[in-house]
Amino acid sequence: MKNKIRFTPLDAVLIVLMLAAVLFLVRRIGVEMNYRWQWPVMLQYLVRTGGGAWAAGSLAQGFLTTVKLSFWATALATLLGTIMGLMRVSHSLFYRLVAGSYVELVRNLPPLVLVFIVYFFIGDRIMALLGMEALIRSASPETQAALNFLFASPARLSGFFAGLATLVLYEAAYITEIVRAGIQSIEQGQWEAAHALGLSRWQQLRCVILPQALQRVLPTLAGQLISTIKDSAIVSVISIPELTFQGLELMSATYLTFEIWITITALYFLLTFTVSMGVRRLEGAMQTKS
Amino acid sequence: MRRNHIVIAIMMITVLVLLVVREATAQTAPLAGESMLEQVMKRGTLRVGMSTFVPWAMQDKSGNFVGFEIDVASRLAKEIGVKTEFIPTKWSGIIPALLTGKFDIIIGGMGIRPERNLKVNFSIPYDHTGMSIVAHKKLAAGFKKIADFNRANVSIAARTGTTAAAAAQQWMPKAKLRLFDDESQAIQELLLGRVHAVVASAPLPAFQAIANQDKLFLPLQEDFTREPIGFAIRKGDSDSLNFLDNWIRVVEAEGWLKERKHYWFGTKEWEKLIK
Repeated sequence: MKNKIRFTPLDAVLIVLMLAAVLFLVRRIGVEMNYRWQWPVMLQYLVRTGGGAWAAGSLAQGFLTTVKLSFWATALATLLGTIMGLMRVSHSLFYRLVAGSYVELVRNLPPLVLVFIVYFFIGDRIMALLGMEALIRSASPETQAALNFLFASPARLSGFFAGLATLVLYEAAYITEIVRAGIQSIEQGQWEAAHALGLSRWQQLRCVILPQALQRVLPTLAGQLISTIKDSAIVSVISIPELTFQGLELMSATYLTFEIWITITALYFLLTFTVSMGVRRLEGAMQTKS
Repeated sequence: MRRNHIVIAIMMITVLVLLVVREATAQTAPLAGESMLEQVMKRGTLRVGMSTFVPWAMQDKSGNFVGFEIDVASRLAKEIGVKTEFIPTKWSGIIPALLTGKFDIIIGGMGIRPERNLKVNFSIPYDHTGMSIVAHKKLAAGFKKIADFNRANVSIAARTGTTAAAAAQQWMPKAKLRLFDDESQAIQELLLGRVHAVVASAPLPAFQAIANQDKLFLPLQEDFTREPIGFAIRKGDSDSLNFLDNWIRVVEAEGWLKERKHYWFGTKEWEKLIK
């Protein structure tokens, strides 16, 4: 049963107060700091109508890159995090140590430091070792177009992968802990019952423990997804043309500091809020099911 | 189970050994056959490291790069017979990025400085720039020479890692220096009246003074330093350096550099590309 939302006088007062606060802020910036607002020019950085066709402006391109980056980072981090999480609860000391060292190492480093380490040292050497660069450049135009659609333009690909790798490494460490906590939260009796049924350890995990654990950790996991979107701003320091970087570039060319930061804020909020609403729906659906 | 561990250990060691071997071979100085120029021709693209500096290099409305440096880089690539690829990079990290091979060359208005030259090789200068100051009308009222700014209660803003920051430190050691990641932030700080002045390469201060006539002014009529600007490439590559030096001599003799410089620095025709 849901209570119907009613609009009360108090709501009206609150809305008026909030609008007044915003107007006050805009006025202060405009009058006292003598900032000249130039909102009309902002539109062309989102959508351009050059030559009759619509095209994404530089901020919109950055937004798309952020979406791609967050999507792949979440997908890969979930995969790596699940594997590492399973290793964390493994019977083998070796696996436990590998996953444990990974989590402790990554979680105890600032993400900014991690970005630089991956970009300058690890990413570069590994990409060179794999001969990625030459491979991408010699690929057929169709493959290049596909790569461009899925990740980034061939020229920016190695940077994109370095950024992606950092995000995956960083987020997966948290997902590892979420998965571990999920598995460990399942009562010992479930393991014992599964064992008594003659299931192997892998079967116990796959058929009994993981389905229950997944349901418990889903809200936390979804929160981590939203975190990934927010954390993706950090790769702007290695010049990946995502939203923050594009905004910074635009600011140094146009000096429209406030307009651009406000637009960036709105775009990030749009993205995370949509995801957040989707997650709430999902949680609701999961609850009614159980 | 035990065997698995041994296999994993062997794989890890192999990867490490491969990395070390690669590193060791990468250290040898390039021969003519492996010079940057040869690699660029083989690849078919010249990867140019740059950073947004108005009007040297910036993105236009459609996200394409335009500017003086972009013209120079595009013509250079055309004459090598390859395509250009611009890799915008934060100025503070541009030299490490060149050294780790993120791009082949820095064409970004980089001033030739001894401490930079210890890490990279520079071509002969293809351009000269000077440092200039733009100041706040109220805060710096009556300031007319460098010495006016060289006081403990004055704060100056500049962009991190630029020669502007170095010049501010050298000429105004007593003033408080505040560093920002790009000029737009420094200018914003000045417009808000939190610093007295911004030091930057000409003509940016003059442009800003014109754009914000009610608040900013130019205290000095002329630039207070003169700096040579060159291309930067990785060290020990005399083949590429020889090509670049002679390319600069040719385009300079043609008068092309002067003409381009006039377009970007002497006129404001390009402004419609940006806004």
